[in-house]
Amino acid sequence: MPIGISGYAAYIPKFRIKKEEYAKAWGSFAAAGVAEKSVMGFDEDVLTSAAKVAKRGLESVPLAPEKVSRFALASTSAPYVEKLLSGTVLVSVGIPGTAFCSDHTSSTRAGTEAMIAALEHMMASSSGRAVVVAADAPSASMWDTIEHPMGAGAASFVLSNEDLIAEVEAYACFASEYLGERFKPKDEETLHDLNVKKYEEGSLLANTIKSGNAILKMLNRKPEDYQHVVIQQPDARVPSTVAARMGITDAQLASGLVVKSVGDLGAASTLVGLAAVLDAAKVGDKILVISYGSGAASDALSLKVMSDRKSPFKVQAELERKEYIDYVKYLKIKGAIV
Amino acid sequence: MAHVSVPMYWRTIPQRYKMVGQKCKKCGHVNFPPKGVCKYCSASSDFEEVKLSGLGKVHTFVLISAGGAPPEFAEQEKAGGQYPVAIVELAEGPKVIGQVADVDPKSIAIGMPVKTELRRIYSEEGVIRYGFKFVPAEGK
Repeated sequence: MPIGISGYAAYIPKFRIKKEEYAKAWGSFAAAGVAEKSVMGFDEDVLTSAAKVAKRGLESVPLAPEKVSRFALASTSAPYVEKLLSGTVLVSVGIPGTAFCSDHTSSTRAGTEAMIAALEHMMASSSGRAVVVAADAPSASMWDTIEHPMGAGAASFVLSNEDLIAEVEAYACFASEYLGERFKPKDEETLHDLNVKKYEEGSLLANTIKSGNAILKMLNRKPEDYQHVVIQQPDARVPSTVAARMGITDAQLASGLVVKSVGDLGAASTLVGLAAVLDAAKVGDKILVISYGSGAASDALSLKVMSDRKSPFKVQAELERKEYIDYVKYLKIKGAIV
Repeated sequence: MAHVSVPMYWRTIPQRYKMVGQKCKKCGHVNFPPKGVCKYCSASSDFEEVKLSGLGKVHTFVLISAGGAPPEFAEQEKAGGQYPVAIVELAEGPKVIGQVADVDPKSIAIGMPVKTELRRIYSEEGVIRYGFKFVPAEGK
């Protein structure tokens, strides 16, 4: 029996900062193709965002939270290094404590990792219902240009074996060992990046192309068989770089390219992109999702759209609901003035 | 700071995270937060647990400005400016107090429809205290 997505939702916090604000403050803005990015409010974090988007996802089906048997939460920006994170969300949403919950952290690939973990639950217990949430708001030192693209956002998906919006046809993964790109050493507050551009591009390409090609081979498909492709979006250039090497066009990337208006969503990057694609996709369309996390790993998912049913919580509506802030307000909200 | 110990806070998580109230089996009124004896009929301690919708209307409100915030909310006021605190009449009847978030303080009005949402309230002893705030009910 096919397994897939029976409901989904997005949440983008309402504050936005434009690249011009960075240019005024620092003289430049180091995030290729990002015009503005989203910012969480002072009283929000990835767990409050996760609770909000999980409720929306369930409402989109609709499915009562009591029916959920699996809950997977992904974020690189958890408010605690040790302490169950998914519990806060599970209790707030009303998912039973007997549901198996898991926290997926420490990599921007965690969103697809959570999705695959939940899919494996569905394969083992097809009458189950799983909720996958990726909520992220990566942060780094304001002195470091790697901070510039970092935005905030969340997406949720309900996995089921009936009333599918999109079937998950297959997934593939590739993991390897690379050093020095986007890492946070133990006992350090902020994210580091040695910024060896060409070498980092090598890691990006090696991992994403291997997971991407593995899934194409598995399904005996060509890149042009996909109407929509979502590739990890730390900025707007990275997905194009990977796509060019794989024979994927910018037109195939268009429907899921959210980074230009929200920034780098870390572990939520590909899944918010997927939500945007589902908003636009037609029955029969095929969707390829390729995530990437430094260190390094990449997951690929292949989906086929089964129904024209859409979530009432569209990415476009989230993008339109916004309030601009200046750089000083940004620093205050981020707690960067100590 | 109005100190609330972690165990004391923990006991109120069903109310703070998901609006669990109690319905009096004698008079039918909904109590929120839960009471030892029904505050409406003062004649029963026999309750049924009910999950409230989180929907309500602003009954009255006040704007907290610089210097007016309790110490645990002082940083929030400094970062975000003036914030509203409202008494909200919930759809099920009870009136509760809470902050109203995601709203321009100048646009808040009596009668405005609101709903609850999980937010960070404040942090003490390194422990983040999550709980509900009200947000405008339109636009979800």
